[in-house]
Amino acid sequence: MNTAITKNGLHAQAIRTAFGKTTVLHDVSLAVAPGETLVLFGPSGSGKTVLLRAIAGLDPNATGHVTIAGRDVTTAGPEGRSIGVAFQNFALYPHMSARENIASPLRARKLPEREIDEKVSAIAKLLKIDHVLAQQPRALSNGQKQRTALARALVGSPKILLMDDPLRNVDAKLRYEMRMELPRLLRRANAAAVYVTQDYREAMALGDRIAVLIDGHIVQLDDPERVYAAPASVAVARLFGDPPLNLVPCRPTLANDGLHVSVFGLDLTLSMAGALAGREAMLGLRPDSIAIFADPQPGAVAATIAAVTPLHGKVVLLLRTQAGDEILASQVGRAPETGSTIWFRPETDTALLYDTETGLLAGEARTATEEAA
Amino acid sequence: MSEIPVTPPPLPRRPILPRALPYLLSLPALLVCIGILIPFVTAVWYSLERYNLSMPYMRSFIWFRNYISLFTDPDFWNTIQVSLIYTISTVVLELLLGLGIALLLRERSRLNNIISIALLMPLMTAPAIAALMWKLMTNPGFGVLSWLISLVGVTDFKWASSPHTAMFTVVLVDIWVYTPFMMILLLAGLRSLPQQPFEAAKLDGVNAGFVFLRITLPMLTPFLFTAVLFRTLDSIQQFDIIYAMTQGGPGNSLLVFQVRAYLEFFSYTNVGRSAAILMVLWAITYVLSQVFVRQWMKLRERAHGAS
Amino acid sequence: MAQADMLWRGLRGVALTLVVVFFLFPIFWIVLMSFETNETVLQVPPTLTPHLTLQNYVALLSGKLNTATGIINITFLHNLWNSVLLSTCSVLVALILGVPAAYAFARFRFRGGEDIAFTLLSFRFAPPLLVLLPLTLYFQDIGLSNTYVGLIWIYQLICLPLILWIVRGYFEDASPDIEYAYRVDGHSWWKAFTKIAIPLAGPGIAAAALLSFIFAWNNFVFALVLASADKQPVTVGALAFVTASGIQYGIIAAAIVLSILPTLALALYAQRWLVEGLSLGAVKG
Repeated sequence: MNTAITKNGLHAQAIRTAFGKTTVLHDVSLAVAPGETLVLFGPSGSGKTVLLRAIAGLDPNATGHVTIAGRDVTTAGPEGRSIGVAFQNFALYPHMSARENIASPLRARKLPEREIDEKVSAIAKLLKIDHVLAQQPRALSNGQKQRTALARALVGSPKILLMDDPLRNVDAKLRYEMRMELPRLLRRANAAAVYVTQDYREAMALGDRIAVLIDGHIVQLDDPERVYAAPASVAVARLFGDPPLNLVPCRPTLANDGLHVSVFGLDLTLSMAGALAGREAMLGLRPDSIAIFADPQPGAVAATIAAVTPLHGKVVLLLRTQAGDEILASQVGRAPETGSTIWFRPETDTALLYDTETGLLAGEARTATEEAA
Repeated sequence: MSEIPVTPPPLPRRPILPRALPYLLSLPALLVCIGILIPFVTAVWYSLERYNLSMPYMRSFIWFRNYISLFTDPDFWNTIQVSLIYTISTVVLELLLGLGIALLLRERSRLNNIISIALLMPLMTAPAIAALMWKLMTNPGFGVLSWLISLVGVTDFKWASSPHTAMFTVVLVDIWVYTPFMMILLLAGLRSLPQQPFEAAKLDGVNAGFVFLRITLPMLTPFLFTAVLFRTLDSIQQFDIIYAMTQGGPGNSLLVFQVRAYLEFFSYTNVGRSAAILMVLWAITYVLSQVFVRQWMKLRERAHGAS
Repeated sequence: MAQADMLWRGLRGVALTLVVVFFLFPIFWIVLMSFETNETVLQVPPTLTPHLTLQNYVALLSGKLNTATGIINITFLHNLWNSVLLSTCSVLVALILGVPAAYAFARFRFRGGEDIAFTLLSFRFAPPLLVLLPLTLYFQDIGLSNTYVGLIWIYQLICLPLILWIVRGYFEDASPDIEYAYRVDGHSWWKAFTKIAIPLAGPGIAAAALLSFIFAWNNFVFALVLASADKQPVTVGALAFVTASGIQYGIIAAAIVLSILPTLALALYAQRWLVEGLSLGAVKG
């Protein structure tokens, strides 16, 4: 446990929440340093919002310790934790103007009127909403509501910033704009930030680290690149990445030059330890590490293109081999036509191997490990 | 729980206040609850006692003898009969009238809205006062209704003062007061129905009778059910209109449950018997209200889900 | 086709006219009567050109009535005052008791919470005399018989369920996140309740208050059983009025008009919430 984090940032230990007999969070612990953004990533219903609420002190039934800037706030109410929260549904006060909404945390501290005015104006300018401060929330556009909510969370310079999927309810264009702006805002706030999202791109763009929460457990806590390159389990792999990781059932065998798997009629050699030799396994192949050729190549398999979908400037291809196996590949540039035959070869240097029984990552290609390190 | 999972060292919970808050907030309401439950429990006890205020020395616990004497008394069977006639005739007539008016006012137009609001006036009149109004209108000397029916040749119609027509008169007043209740509830129900089935039926050229029986009525059922139960619960307990109009008379022609219990208590000071009558009524309303609350919750969830 | 349509419209018009006449004529007739002299009232057949006068209202409000047998004192104004006092205080008490409870039931799931809420609801449907008759005996013991306090307390049977269930619906419709946001800003629970939750449920609270005022005003049986002449509201007072000998019918009509006027006025004002109130919050208008 990092003592610097304990002293200055956010430190939540063994947070447990249960609704009736269902436990939603199983003793989750996390630590965030000042200035760091930890992204809490997971599917809906995994407990992300519940965890955020427990940290904010909004759930009286949650157990566990919460320390903020070295102060144990476990028994403090939400008003005594000096946190800023951005809610998914904005949670603006509908009967107050945007200015009063933003001023609320400052009013709670009973700051002099002049200081409140200055701070509200400054943050409003930063978020480009200074021209709508007199409006009531219902007169604001979605994007302006979003920015007002963020301004309110940031205006009091909180030590802890909790953001519950704040971009969920805005359209794609605004989401893109905010994704560009947020890192700057977060750096400026210098708070220990927890950012909840279901969108892996948002997680990659904003997170200094990513905690993947599934069914109330943190199953992986790592740098964004590591989570992307080596998802800790099949469940994480399925959530992280779009198109998702290909998972191909196989049974590895151990040879002198490494682990061998036989997939799509190919014999692939993986440079990884042989713990899974002889057992049921899943070979994880990123769609972008499937090489595609127009002509037959040594070590490549023939397949027909079953479907073509453009996605984020790439083209995703659904390939079907003669044996009927399907695999997703993505490539940049011009897409071959649906129904045409191509040849593909899995690149083994970023391949992952999962234990089918536990779903956990059992091995990754050495080159991938080296790259990340 | 058969097995206690391994937990980390005991962790402090949040202080007691936040968790006690809901109880603190509802405590005053709870106290009122208790304050009202005490007389209720007392009434249950009274109903098992021989207890007459004019003969306090006779007071003793007699188990179910009050109930036995009630159910072997033809007068009490008369009360049951009168109450049932009153309840069934008011609820059925108000339902038919209310539904009819609601269908007439169904379109959202300015005139329809004004009429529907104006029709609520009888409902906002205190039932006891409404009974007085009708008492004046049916006065044999100058009452406008007496005069009107004399125009069509009926001169010896005695309204509430004759045992033959007293029931008709109070039912008429009840209809005047409470039909708007049915109307406004069913109107709200009609207007909340989804439009697609009706539009589809119109396109297919389905005739109006079929639309009413096969589309409108089934979709309106939850509202009909709630409104009917609501009115039944109120009607079987009717006191104000009957007491203000005739005090249960003439004779025993309008001695419904609550009026009989009231007279038993205040005229004959027979607390035990009065309590027993009310317990019988309570048993009936309790069963009905259980059904009602279930229906009512469904409507409530719908109203809040839609908003 | 067009003819059938015309016929249908005509029938609809006739039906609506009949309905309006049936439901509104009694009120119209009583109002008219309240402005007539005793001679006009007793005229048969009724005259179409009555001589209108304010004398009935003057007599009622001055409390002095000249009759053949001498001057009769009328306490109707006092009844009116009792109605205002009882209804207003009952609604205020019900708001103080009911709004926090409604909030608790809307925001927290707690053991026994729903039980209390449904017990309160069931009061609305229990025979009132079942509670009232034992209370007449209790009230004598605890010194509450024929007091405003005792009456206001028992009026909670009408007001509290109404306030509780309507206001609860409004609290449930408002997102709790708005209050959470306010608390996270650093405001206490109490401030979030008074500055956020209550203003947001404001329309619902106002509607519930108006409606429970109407129902309290219209109540008859509670005061009939528990109050003596000096504490009786108009509903009971008017009945005593009719049975008292020597009072002119025009004055009775005026008393009736004054008794129903406040609730009719309030109902017109609150009409868009009436459906919700009448169904205890289950149906929205």
